[in-house]
Amino acid sequence: MASGSTTTAERLQHELKRLIPAVKMARRNLTRNTLRTALAALGVLIGVFAIASLGLFGNILALSASAELGGIGNQLIITPNEDAGVTGLDIRDVDAVTRAVGTDGTAVPLLTTSGLLSASGGQTFGQVYGADNPAALFTAREGTIPDRHRQGAIVGGDVAETLDLRIGSAIEVESSRYRVIAILESEELLTPVNPNSAVILPEAAFAQRSYDQIVVQAQSGESASVIAERVRTQLNSREERVSVFELSSILETIDEFFSLLNQFLLGIAGISLVVAGVSIFNVMLMSTTERRQEIGVLRAVGVQKGDVLRVLLAEAVLLGVIGGLFGALFAGLAAIGLVFIAPIGFDVVLVASNAVYLFGAFVFGVIVCLLSGLYPAYKAATLRPVEALRG
Amino acid sequence: MTQEQTQTHPVVEDNAPAIELQDVVKTYNTGGETIDALAGVDLAIEAGEFLAIVGPSGSGKSTLLNILGLLDVPTSGAVRIHDRDVTTLSERERTTARKESIGFVFQDFHLLPSLTATENVCVPTMFDTGRDATGRAEQLLTRVGLGDRLTHTPDELSGGQQQRVAIARALINEPTIVLADEPTGNLDQDTGHTILDEFRRVCDAGVSVIAVTHDEVVTTYADRTIELIDGVIHRG
Repeated sequence: MASGSTTTAERLQHELKRLIPAVKMARRNLTRNTLRTALAALGVLIGVFAIASLGLFGNILALSASAELGGIGNQLIITPNEDAGVTGLDIRDVDAVTRAVGTDGTAVPLLTTSGLLSASGGQTFGQVYGADNPAALFTAREGTIPDRHRQGAIVGGDVAETLDLRIGSAIEVESSRYRVIAILESEELLTPVNPNSAVILPEAAFAQRSYDQIVVQAQSGESASVIAERVRTQLNSREERVSVFELSSILETIDEFFSLLNQFLLGIAGISLVVAGVSIFNVMLMSTTERRQEIGVLRAVGVQKGDVLRVLLAEAVLLGVIGGLFGALFAGLAAIGLVFIAPIGFDVVLVASNAVYLFGAFVFGVIVCLLSGLYPAYKAATLRPVEALRG
Repeated sequence: MTQEQTQTHPVVEDNAPAIELQDVVKTYNTGGETIDALAGVDLAIEAGEFLAIVGPSGSGKSTLLNILGLLDVPTSGAVRIHDRDVTTLSERERTTARKESIGFVFQDFHLLPSLTATENVCVPTMFDTGRDATGRAEQLLTRVGLGDRLTHTPDELSGGQQQRVAIARALINEPTIVLADEPTGNLDQDTGHTILDEFRRVCDAGVSVIAVTHDEVVTTYADRTIELIDGVIHRG
């Protein structure tokens, strides 16, 4: 018997002990009408699946987008401000930028032109960059990019393919011949300086001495914005000589878009769980109405209101747990299936934030069931036994 | 089955009635009209007594049974179980008192369809933490002649067998009183006799049995029969 001096812990333990027979009874009640139970659980399954899968897909989309775009957040593009009459960046500008960058990154001044590229495999039109230190911006698929680019041509993946180039092949750029010293990795990513159809030559190959842009590769997004600030103060103090473009600003906009998209998707999925909640409500109301007499008998033979309530709520929660588990399971499988049908890697699927979506959807489903079961359970448990017995 | 079985029921030493009603009145309000379902009922049932309550429909039999069973409270008057006044108990206390002192047997048996006979007998003890009544349930079922039907579910049992399971269920908590609402109403005559024999044995064990009935046969088994007409007792 509960006495007045029981502690909260003891009372909790007492409650939990009473929960075990309630859950057993609830399980048995659910197996009595398996079709109805299955349909109710299916409603929850669909709701949880919708929330979990849309949440997951949105998250995966955002993750893979930032994986694709992640690199550019570290880059700054510095270009001459043509509005102020500056048409090119000279060596003093480069020195100023290099000082501003310091050890936080690498400044790569680029000379830019375009021209006809030809080799024994044919010819094509392409971008030609002049850079003495391209190693900071590009990665080689074959060969190596030297720290100091003094001779030879570094060719983009597409160019190498079109002209059938290998390391050591000859390529003619605007009637000068170069040896191919490296072939670049094909970049799927969105980058400001796309190397795929470009050739990178030493600066010495260019007659022009004024740079078209300086690309700064910083170590992180934060240091990129610090550098941007320093470049602005050092070069633009007297006049707006250069424009500094921070690519991270694009990233922020994209991130905002994805989080909006995700909320939108979750909102839609939420509607389906509300529908599932209504169906649980209906099922619980039906089954408690059907079992009026039975509940009356339980009350007559001395089962307390609270215990009847516990049994009925346990039924609702069990429906939620069954439906929720399968819903989350199927959503997880669907996310893994996405890897096989979409250009998405396991690295963005098997991350903790996705597990949070699965677990969150499951918990949300169980809570919706519990709430939907509250009223029918309360109504049945508080029915006067005399009336319940009358049927 | 014989009587030499040891009795586990509390034997009341004093002469206090098992249950006693004093000037019990129950009125209902329906549509502005006040109906006296019970108009001053005095009734005392001794331990081990088999009482039959008869009377025409609407005479207040069900109301009387509900008040005796602590399922309903009187408008005025007092209800005592073993000299304990239970009239003003709270809902929760009444539920506990029902569980401790009263067993119910219904016309429609009212067994839970998904449970075995033994489990059905255990239903009143289901939420008692740390109590396993299975042994006692099996013993009771054996006593009512269902020792070979312990794991059968209600749909595998005949009406008479189901009612015997219900009697075992009513006895699981060692009650003072067993209340039976038309216990033979859904049974054929022969089966009815076996059930009434069972009630007789329950009485012999010191438990009072109160049966509300239309069935004349029940009265032949009862120690005493009272007739209720318009909420007033006429001694039978």
